[in-house]
Amino acid sequence: MLKTIHHFQTSIGRKQVVATTGLMLILFIIGHLIGNLLIFGGPELYNGYAAFLVKLRPGLFVIEGALGVVFLIHIFFTYMLIHDNVRARPKNYKIVATKSERSFATQIMPFTGTIIFAFLFYHLWDFTFTPHHGAQSILRDGKDYGLYGLVYNAFSDPLHSTFYIIAMMCLGFHLSHGVESFFQTYGVTNTKHTATIRMISQTFGVLVGWSFSMIPVYILVKNLSGN
Amino acid sequence: MLDSKIPSGPLKEKWANHKLHLKLVNPANKRKYQVIVVGTGLAGSSAAATLAELGYRVKVFCIQDSPRRAHSIAAQGGINAAKNYANDGDSIDRLFYDTIKGGDFRAREANVYRLAEVSHAIIDHCVAQGVPFAREYSGYLDNRSFGGAQVSRTFYARGQTGQQLLLGAYSALMKEVSRGNVEIHPRTEMLDLVTIDGVAKGIITRDLISGKVESHAADAVILATGGYSSVFYLSTNAKACNATAIWRAHKRGAFLANPCFTQIHPTCIPVHGDYQSKLTLMSEGLRNDGRVWVPKNANDKRDPSKVQIAERDYFLERKYPTFGNLVPRDIASRNAKEMCDSGHGVGETGMAVYLDFADAIKRLGKEKISERYGNLFEMYEKISGDNPYEKPMMIYPAPHYTMGGLWVDYNLMSTIPGLFVLGEANFSDHGANRLGASALMQGLADGYFIIPYTIGDYLAQTTPAGMDLTSFPAFREAEGQVVQKVSRLLAAKGKRTADDFHKQLGKLLWDKCGMARNEAGLRQALNQIPAIRQEFWENVNVPGSGEDLNQSLEKAGRVADYLEFAELFVMDALHRNESCGGHFREEFQTPEGEAKRDDSKFCYVAAWQHQESGAEPVLHKEPLKFESVNLTQRSYK
Amino acid sequence: MDKKLNLKLMLWRQNGAKDKGKFETYKVKDIDVSMSFLEMLDVLNETLTREGQEPVAFDHDCREGICGACGAVVNGKAHGKLKGTTLCQLHMRHFENNETIVIEPWRAKGFPVIKDLVVDRSSFDRIIAAGGYISAKTGSAPDANAIPVAKESVEQSMDAAACIGCGACVAACPNAAAMLFVGAKISHLVLLPQGKVESKTRTGNMVHQMDKEGFGNCSNEYECEAACPKSISVSNIALMNREFMFSKNPPKP
Repeated sequence: MLKTIHHFQTSIGRKQVVATTGLMLILFIIGHLIGNLLIFGGPELYNGYAAFLVKLRPGLFVIEGALGVVFLIHIFFTYMLIHDNVRARPKNYKIVATKSERSFATQIMPFTGTIIFAFLFYHLWDFTFTPHHGAQSILRDGKDYGLYGLVYNAFSDPLHSTFYIIAMMCLGFHLSHGVESFFQTYGVTNTKHTATIRMISQTFGVLVGWSFSMIPVYILVKNLSGN
Repeated sequence: MLDSKIPSGPLKEKWANHKLHLKLVNPANKRKYQVIVVGTGLAGSSAAATLAELGYRVKVFCIQDSPRRAHSIAAQGGINAAKNYANDGDSIDRLFYDTIKGGDFRAREANVYRLAEVSHAIIDHCVAQGVPFAREYSGYLDNRSFGGAQVSRTFYARGQTGQQLLLGAYSALMKEVSRGNVEIHPRTEMLDLVTIDGVAKGIITRDLISGKVESHAADAVILATGGYSSVFYLSTNAKACNATAIWRAHKRGAFLANPCFTQIHPTCIPVHGDYQSKLTLMSEGLRNDGRVWVPKNANDKRDPSKVQIAERDYFLERKYPTFGNLVPRDIASRNAKEMCDSGHGVGETGMAVYLDFADAIKRLGKEKISERYGNLFEMYEKISGDNPYEKPMMIYPAPHYTMGGLWVDYNLMSTIPGLFVLGEANFSDHGANRLGASALMQGLADGYFIIPYTIGDYLAQTTPAGMDLTSFPAFREAEGQVVQKVSRLLAAKGKRTADDFHKQLGKLLWDKCGMARNEAGLRQALNQIPAIRQEFWENVNVPGSGEDLNQSLEKAGRVADYLEFAELFVMDALHRNESCGGHFREEFQTPEGEAKRDDSKFCYVAAWQHQESGAEPVLHKEPLKFESVNLTQRSYK
Repeated sequence: MDKKLNLKLMLWRQNGAKDKGKFETYKVKDIDVSMSFLEMLDVLNETLTREGQEPVAFDHDCREGICGACGAVVNGKAHGKLKGTTLCQLHMRHFENNETIVIEPWRAKGFPVIKDLVVDRSSFDRIIAAGGYISAKTGSAPDANAIPVAKESVEQSMDAAACIGCGACVAACPNAAAMLFVGAKISHLVLLPQGKVESKTRTGNMVHQMDKEGFGNCSNEYECEAACPKSISVSNIALMNREFMFSKNPPKP
């Protein structure tokens, strides 16, 4: 036990915690994405999925709580790493230049991470802690469409949608570096596989970013075309 | 009075018998002895690590910021060993003979035989340490060939063999540091040797960061401080390489042997400007596949691609059909010089010859060549701006290694009891010319497998000091002298930089005591050196203070010692009225222009003794007895 | 080829570890393009000395790219803009006439400045002392060919062993991490059968020492690989990470 604690006090150990929690969050994101994409199947399918989730409670609360803890650990360990990193270079260079071809995603990791963190609260307030029935769920035909209606109404607002799309792009960028980092941190990378892993990572990031963004885009377009 | 302590008995049994008769220090008593090692190249690091493993307390000093940066790191090509893995007829006897012959019969038979004998163990040990030597697909070790040998006995790690061997020795040293058996003092320069009643008992050092001058006492002192090639200013040696440690020891009574035996390496990147600070070696390994040539017509300034095969003179292949491009270094260098002197040289200055890989690339493919020499080709391109895959390399000889050094007996002890000298700093194994890939072998042989035995014999007969000797007057006096010299350098406040004097001295020596020497030139040099030295002390400008990191001060101190050493260097070259190996006296050559030895008069080691009064040094001769080989005119035809 | 350059140098001057340090501007004239960067600094230093000023302190030794002594951050890039090159092998033909060159020392907590461009890299020695070796005593080895080693492993090991310990990886890393240096040594040894025996304690000990020296953490930006004069791959860091999972940790001090 003591050994494990020591392990997670080292630079590499901490990174492995970040990588492990990152992987858990990725699994969650995949699940969440699949669920969300059900929106394309119409209100019944989508609300059915929501109702199914509600039925899983209170067990689901435990999982959600654990997920929250994982998320906090992910952030806390990242914070510790950054804290050390800042201390490791007390005085910075006059000119900071780069020799590598490191991607844009890599350079903006802390930024995208912060945006995702802020987004999470907004998102929970937006869809989880807002009542799923009532004025905000009523569509143009005057009927209450439950969660489907809530989401539909929210994304009909271009501003609201834009913010979501930006957040999802950040998530995409974050993942496109994060997945690759996971492999590196767990030592799966070697010179032969580096290029493949990088490709998988970037593809995954783009895919997740785009897929999530499809939802507000779809609703925006649908709303504008008057359906 | 020079007792080389060569054991009696047949050559092949000398070392084994000697080891049996050497006195031993009881394991429990080893801790009572303090040993100082100066220098952390292959010889120093390996000695320090091994002595610490045995249980001695070891203090290690180096001028670099880390022991890992000693100049052994720059050795490229490889390390010899008589393993005969190539099944091509190698043996201890053949390695011995090649080394003796390569050295033009001016080395001690017994030392060289021992070197060949322990060469096996070096490779075994280095592999165990994790040195990534090149291997075949079978997983077994690969070999390449080197100059002066007709067998493939050179083990290598790409073009970075010295680096890998040094990192091996360094890691062994750091292992002992972590175990508390070794104390390392990096960025610390030895500025004097301290003797008490004629016995080496410690050193005076200067901390290069704080400027603090300190005394360190020990029961034995080991110098492994390398050679003095940079006396020429331009050489393949690192900028910090210097002769201060051996010169200080010499002035305290250690004899200096054969200083005129210097090696000029044939394959270096030519000089291209006054600002040049060093010359870069291209490994001798390149001569395995590269062909050396110049245009047949003098002053042919055409692009090499325009010079037809028939118009080229592959002079080494022409003159030495048996060894071809793989003749020993001294011969390859001298021939290149001859070609350039007769107007066949190429390049802007006309002081270069081609080393051409076109045929090898045609035969083996670019990939194979790149696998063998890729890093060297890259380095060449970085420096010269030319791509050697497309255009032949241009090379010219440059000072590289010094066979001369402090005189040591068979136990590697100098004429000062308790002062041992290892590696390039001693004179012992290479005679008048060293074969490629043998320096690494000697450094590691001395450090791993010879000194651990022989120092025990000395210490077993010495009572450990058991107290701090540094308060003794000998230490106080020596410290005072060091401090005084430092302040004298700082006080001169003249107009010229130390580098400026170094360049002047270097050029004089290169012209008069370089690849070819003659009496008139040597006498001129002897006249001029004292004048340069005098001006140095009056007109050198050393800025800054002695109390912090002051690289100008370090440099000035080393140049000051070179200015003294140079005189002995030239004197030795003048006295040796024969040509042998790297010492080529124009007056003494065969009709074909080869070095002509005079075995009747000069078959000895010239060991010089310093005179306190400033009088001329006294020459002592250690006759060289050859019992197992016949002295012949070296022939590589 | 006879081109000459006039340059403006903005150089970090710091008189000792305690001094705050500042940039000074110098002009150098008639710099031959075939000079190395260090030879250009030599020219500056000779001039400064003649003018009675203290020359710029910088570490250098072999000047052929193998000893690892030299190094400075030139215009924000460790060892200058060329890849796979040490500062001593960077030649002036890669600069423009009238260019301003900003020259700074390696900056990292693990590499405190000693003077001007000279930094203290003894932290690297302590990391090696913590475990960067195979504990084979002199004299104990079997025949060199007793244990065959796959050519592929030895080549990979050599790729990692090529590290010259210059510290450019630390200097270039946005987090001043020493992971490439440590990873390279761990890979070099663990890829050989001889080095496998004590790999578990080695990795743990070296990583702990690295952390103790105050180096930062890897954020997988791979600046180290790009700055490494021997182009050592970041896959060595991956290998170290993997080894670390199975390592034995030393007791907490």
